Amino acid sequence: MAKNVRISEVGLRGVVGSGLSAEHVVDFASAFGTFLGPGAVVVGRDPRASSVMLREGVLAGLLACGREVIDLGLVSTPVMQHGIRRHAAAGGISIGASHNAAEWNALKFLGAAGTYLSTAEAGELLDLYHLRRFAFVDWKHIGHLRVEEDALDLYLDDLAQAFDFKGLERFKVLVDCANGTSSKILRRLNERHGFHFILINERMGAFAHEPNTSAATVALQLAPMVQPAGADAGFLFDIDSDRVAMATEAGEAVSEEMMLPLLADYLLPRSPGKLVITNLSTTALVEEVARRHGGTVIRVPVGRQAATDALAMYRPEEIAVAGEGTGAVMMPRFRFVYDGIASMLAVLSMMQERHAKLSEILAGYPRYSILKGQVPLLPQKIPALFGKLEKRYADGRANAIDGLRVDWPEKWFHVRVSQTEPVVRVICEHRGGPPRMLFQELMDQVRHYAS
Amino acid sequence: MPREHLLKIGVSGIRGVVGPFLTPQLARAFAQAFGTYVGGGRVVVGRDTRATGPMLQHAVQCGLLAAGCEVIDVGVLPTPTIQLYTGAIGARGGLSITASHNPPEYNALKLFNASGLFFNHYERGELLDIYHQSAFREASNAEICPILKEHAAPVRLHFERVLKQVDVERIRARKFKVALDAVNGAGAVMSPQFLRDELGCELHAIAIDPEKPFPRIAEPRPDTLTELSALVREHGCDIGFGQDPDGDRLAIADETGRVIDNDDVLAIAVDAVLARHAGPVSVNLTTSSVIDDVAARYRCIVLRTPVGEANVVEGMLGSGAVIGGEGGNGGVIFPAVQYCRDSYAGMALWLDRMAATGETVSSLTSALPRYYRRSATVGLEHGWLGTVIQRLAAEWPEAKLDRRDGLKLTLDGAWVHARSSNTEPILRLSVEAKTEAHADQLFTAAKRALSLSAVPSPAK
Repeated sequence: MAKNVRISEVGLRGVVGSGLSAEHVVDFASAFGTFLGPGAVVVGRDPRASSVMLREGVLAGLLACGREVIDLGLVSTPVMQHGIRRHAAAGGISIGASHNAAEWNALKFLGAAGTYLSTAEAGELLDLYHLRRFAFVDWKHIGHLRVEEDALDLYLDDLAQAFDFKGLERFKVLVDCANGTSSKILRRLNERHGFHFILINERMGAFAHEPNTSAATVALQLAPMVQPAGADAGFLFDIDSDRVAMATEAGEAVSEEMMLPLLADYLLPRSPGKLVITNLSTTALVEEVARRHGGTVIRVPVGRQAATDALAMYRPEEIAVAGEGTGAVMMPRFRFVYDGIASMLAVLSMMQERHAKLSEILAGYPRYSILKGQVPLLPQKIPALFGKLEKRYADGRANAIDGLRVDWPEKWFHVRVSQTEPVVRVICEHRGGPPRMLFQELMDQVRHYAS
Repeated sequence: MPREHLLKIGVSGIRGVVGPFLTPQLARAFAQAFGTYVGGGRVVVGRDTRATGPMLQHAVQCGLLAAGCEVIDVGVLPTPTIQLYTGAIGARGGLSITASHNPPEYNALKLFNASGLFFNHYERGELLDIYHQSAFREASNAEICPILKEHAAPVRLHFERVLKQVDVERIRARKFKVALDAVNGAGAVMSPQFLRDELGCELHAIAIDPEKPFPRIAEPRPDTLTELSALVREHGCDIGFGQDPDGDRLAIADETGRVIDNDDVLAIAVDAVLARHAGPVSVNLTTSSVIDDVAARYRCIVLRTPVGEANVVEGMLGSGAVIGGEGGNGGVIFPAVQYCRDSYAGMALWLDRMAATGETVSSLTSALPRYYRRSATVGLEHGWLGTVIQRLAAEWPEAKLDRRDGLKLTLDGAWVHARSSNTEPILRLSVEAKTEAHADQLFTAAKRALSLSAVPSPAK
């Protein structure tokens, strides 16, 4: 049976019409309205067609719980987080499935600080959802909807405090918006702040290609156009603008893994905090860069939930940067959520301050090669697989907090079960050329674990 | 102990106290069943001004979009306006989110088919089956449509349809002084436009703020329209109009501020229409015989139907009636505009009749034959309906019987009608006669026949 809906601590995610239904949406919004402490709830959505349906269900559930709802319209998750803090709201619901394909959609739940819910909070929300016992109010206390038109401008004002907009205006930057919310933000940066972003795939909701931020997608449309456009760099966003990937001025697609080490390199020297938080599947270049600046890397299991819980353990000023190999990076001092627009501005700031081209900056790092693969999941066979792998690679340093990661000097692999899709992911990296033999060996073992 | 009907899901749709009973979940599911039943396509959605309206509208739109419907959101509008717009644009159906004259804690969904007519009995049954099976259309991302907003066109269309049927210039020339109590309902914005801008009246209006709660009991009756009566007297108005929250019902105050009988509201509307074109009239069984007398002036026939707007409309469609309605609740149905109760048609027909005859409200009504009405509700225990109805029939063996809706006994110049309510465990008893004494006598006898204490215990 196709698994087209996933209800977990991460929220509600599924294929609209054959998994994720209107019923799920109204129930989840009602549960969230019941769960939150007192205060307003901020709502925003991505440009998928189905997001309009989800919005209606979300509003109905929240209003029935007597919530004042502030709808920011078509905005990215970072703009939403900014809105939640600005209004001192009780929380927010972000409607949109980020990097997933067009037929998917999701509800993401944000708490009072605009951060994702911790595992404990999300568990409570899930219990309320499953109980379906909601705190509906009577007609005199029913909630009201307020539409806020200028949430984006207020967010941009905040960005202008964190980055030197005047210095960045000179760059000519080509951007593949992947038909997501970034087009709206970047157009506004052009109009309001004099930036020079040249946009492709800017029509929201059209979906010219898969909205992921892999190097392969960068190479598809963006990279070949950077040089002809005479741009200083190219950037590719996912739908809700939290992930971002790059292409150099020479038209070379850069691995999505580079975003975090690059920003660690930029932020560590200027940050009082020296922590870099990332997951087990992200490039080891992060450690190498951190060492240069006296930083410490903390590795956590893959997934937003583990990252959220880890971030909550530290004060924002202790953390220089947090992120993952997918191109999703956050600068906690600035905002406690992945923010692709801020990531891009940080890269441009690096180019500005170092008076260097993007390709020149990237040339300053040693070469790491990463290979990624996946195999369909057979849940009952998983424990045996990890037991087998651990024995076979006993010569390395093993970490079993999320599947199995084994490290050797200059080489590592990570095999784990995906939280969002029914697959086993295999990832393996080498300082230098691609670790083809190890990768092949791992893929063969994982492929055959079921038989 | 009387049962409390805080939620009712049945052939008349879904209605209840919002919050703990009528939830966004139920509204969403019902709307998705509706969207499934009409098979996608355009669906018009509007509402009255109740505080719970926006919440329910979002829930309804969620269900409709999920079923792949193209939602046309017409916002706050009277039910008749939504109905005629649904029929006019070739939509697959429409919904009005309103509990009509019920108190503010209630809300409900009124459902319309592609012609803008209330779902008939069979359509309602099929919809209910889909709802209970939860066998909904589930649209994919590619099949989900954006919401279209349209407010001005339905209003314009409604005004055009009504005004085409009356002599607008003659009405405007009279510069009527009109009082209005729109109960801060769906007609709060539209009715002043209609009376002042379209019909050239000098308007004195209260309760025309759609953002505010209902300032009085929502049902327009003599005892709830005291402010309207005062307004009429204060400004020396020719007529006062009282609407309900969704603008289907109409009550009228005469130039002295007295709120006239609802049956007379319908009678003068019938008079106004038949004076222009003769044709059949259709009203429910419990509407006053004054309608028969007015129709007789024009040699027109009156067809009776069971109580309920949908029943009257079906009767009108079957008979080709040119005017009709439900006397008891001030519902004028004028097919030339739309087959639905429409306070705007009612207001226009009244002003048209006044302009044509030069008469006042009180002179028009006093020229109508006088009938005396007695009404009561009688508590009913389950299982006793047959027994009490048989006793009622036995009381007047000479009467002509009509059993389509409870029992109606027609006597010489009088009638007795007892029917069980669709929503509460009660019998509604109405008696009408040409003299007060006759009405009282029939009323006493009928109450005695229906009273449970008079019924012998069933044999063991």
